[in-house]
Amino acid sequence: MRLLLTFILLAALPGPARGSGLAIVLNSGDATLSVLDMAHGTELRRVPVLREPHHVALSPDGADLLVGDAGANEMLFLDPRTGDIRRRVPMADPYHLAFSPNGKWLTVTGLARNQVDLYDAASMALVKRFPLSSMPSHVTYAPDSSMAYVTLQGTDRLAAIDIKRQAVNWIAEVGATPAGVIWLNGKLLVANMGSDHFAVVDPVDGHVDQRVHTGRGAHQLFLSPDRKTLWVNNRVDGTTVALDAATFALIHSYRVPGGPDCIDFAPDGKLWITQRFIQKVGVLDPATGALHSLAVGRSPHGIHLTGDAR
Amino acid sequence: MTDPFSLAAGWLHETLLLPMLYAVGAMEWEEIAFGWALFACYGMAQVAVTFAICLPLERWRPVEHWPDQKAVWVDVLYTLVSRVGVLPLVTFVLFYQLQVAMNGWMSDHGWIPPTLERLIPALLGHHLLTFFLYAVILDFSEYWRHRLSHRFGWWWALHSLHHAQRQMTFWSDDRNHLLDDLIGFVWFTAVALLIGIPPLQFPLLVLLLRFLESLSHANARLSFGWLGERLLVSPRFHRSHHGVLAAGQQSANYGAILPWWDVLFGTADFARAYVRTGDPSAEEALATGSYVQQQWAGLRRMARLAGWTDPRRAGRLRRG
Repeated sequence: MRLLLTFILLAALPGPARGSGLAIVLNSGDATLSVLDMAHGTELRRVPVLREPHHVALSPDGADLLVGDAGANEMLFLDPRTGDIRRRVPMADPYHLAFSPNGKWLTVTGLARNQVDLYDAASMALVKRFPLSSMPSHVTYAPDSSMAYVTLQGTDRLAAIDIKRQAVNWIAEVGATPAGVIWLNGKLLVANMGSDHFAVVDPVDGHVDQRVHTGRGAHQLFLSPDRKTLWVNNRVDGTTVALDAATFALIHSYRVPGGPDCIDFAPDGKLWITQRFIQKVGVLDPATGALHSLAVGRSPHGIHLTGDAR
Repeated sequence: MTDPFSLAAGWLHETLLLPMLYAVGAMEWEEIAFGWALFACYGMAQVAVTFAICLPLERWRPVEHWPDQKAVWVDVLYTLVSRVGVLPLVTFVLFYQLQVAMNGWMSDHGWIPPTLERLIPALLGHHLLTFFLYAVILDFSEYWRHRLSHRFGWWWALHSLHHAQRQMTFWSDDRNHLLDDLIGFVWFTAVALLIGIPPLQFPLLVLLLRFLESLSHANARLSFGWLGERLLVSPRFHRSHHGVLAAGQQSANYGAILPWWDVLFGTADFARAYVRTGDPSAEEALATGSYVQQQWAGLRRMARLAGWTDPRRAGRLRRG
């Protein structure tokens, strides 16, 4: 009787059902995606892909989760609720990707091929290719979708692409080995991985107005969902720092070993951070500073927490 | 399951390579360095495993005893350079760049770059099976490359450096002329590109094949039995290829891992066993010279056998 009661109680509990609180992690080093149950911190399954998945973006209508498999030259379209692959589209070297805020455009960087491609988001047709040297890494958009900004890792520069004219507006030097780039309060923030800071850049002409120290190997920047906190991962120091998004004042620095890379935010306030060199995803509780890491595949890079979890 | 090689590579990268790249302002090489760290870890483990398995075998049942083993030390140097040091890095970087260029060009023209998994979709996700198929295809291509390296005079001159060793041990596998290595790399890469080997599996595949090749060079009386000899290249089988009578443009047992190709194409010789190794026609520097002397002697021999130098004039100069 006790056994039966236990069984009924267990069955009534919300289990790790597909679509409720999943973390999808892109294991760039072993050509798989890890699908994790966020509530229980367990890996539910590994989805094989072809070669080398790096970055992920949700389509404007939220219907598809796009994963760029750069080594395979294909874009994967996943069900964002389950992580299942729905279709594969041949695409040259899709490394990082971003949709324009108005949902009309998709920009894809080809880091290995020194190119940035502009696609029509609805038809996925290539509209324009911009050859940009060298190593175009991350991309972000202006809020009005008029411009896309791309970091050029190999030449220490940032490129501004005018979407309407479909032409490069300017290319400016911003610091050593720029990687992550985001738009915040009318400025561009560029994380300089070959240095210890992010640059605050004027989007009009690429002039660097300010440099904000974060730590060695500043790699990626993320804005918290409430837009109050700016998070920066420092790959060489192995830290994740929280800054006031308005003043850039340091709030706290957290030790996150293993090359912290991409971040996504869970509804409980925790940060899920990929740790490239130790095959783990760290779950950081900013309130306590506690970091709990979960094993995933080799060289985990992009991460997406499913819609239901937000 | 956490991969110990990846963890070791991650540790090497995070504690040594990354701070070093940061210090010298070369962070754009960070991803490449992480890739190399993995191959170096595989390489070190492979050398250690080869040493741990082959050395006892050579002590237990040696084919030959030598008063000293000075000639073997050069082979140790060849092995370390080839498996842990610069070569895996160069191999990875070059292969990766070539694959990016070729696949990008193909996708620009509306073609889908080739991979075994696209040809046989059922392979997707079955890494071990795919790995095995890649290995079989590459071994087949290696058979023909090896056979052709004996066929052409200039190529044989370079390859004869490998055959000149009279003290053949498990270290001898990497004893190659740099030009011969370069040709081998181009050959291997062309095939790897055609079948779409993933860059991160490519050096691992080379290292696995090389472990078996090391074993086949061991100075050990080791046979795999009648059936085993026909399934996998053994030290006994491969020693026949290194025999003094087999040195040159007519040889046998060219297979590196699988003897299937020798059986199929009529070059298998299962009769001879544990013969004396070396190339009697090679100058002494190729056998017992230093690393540099061996490389230089290989070039000289290539020039002679290709007819780039006048042997009659060379003869008069020697007599004079």
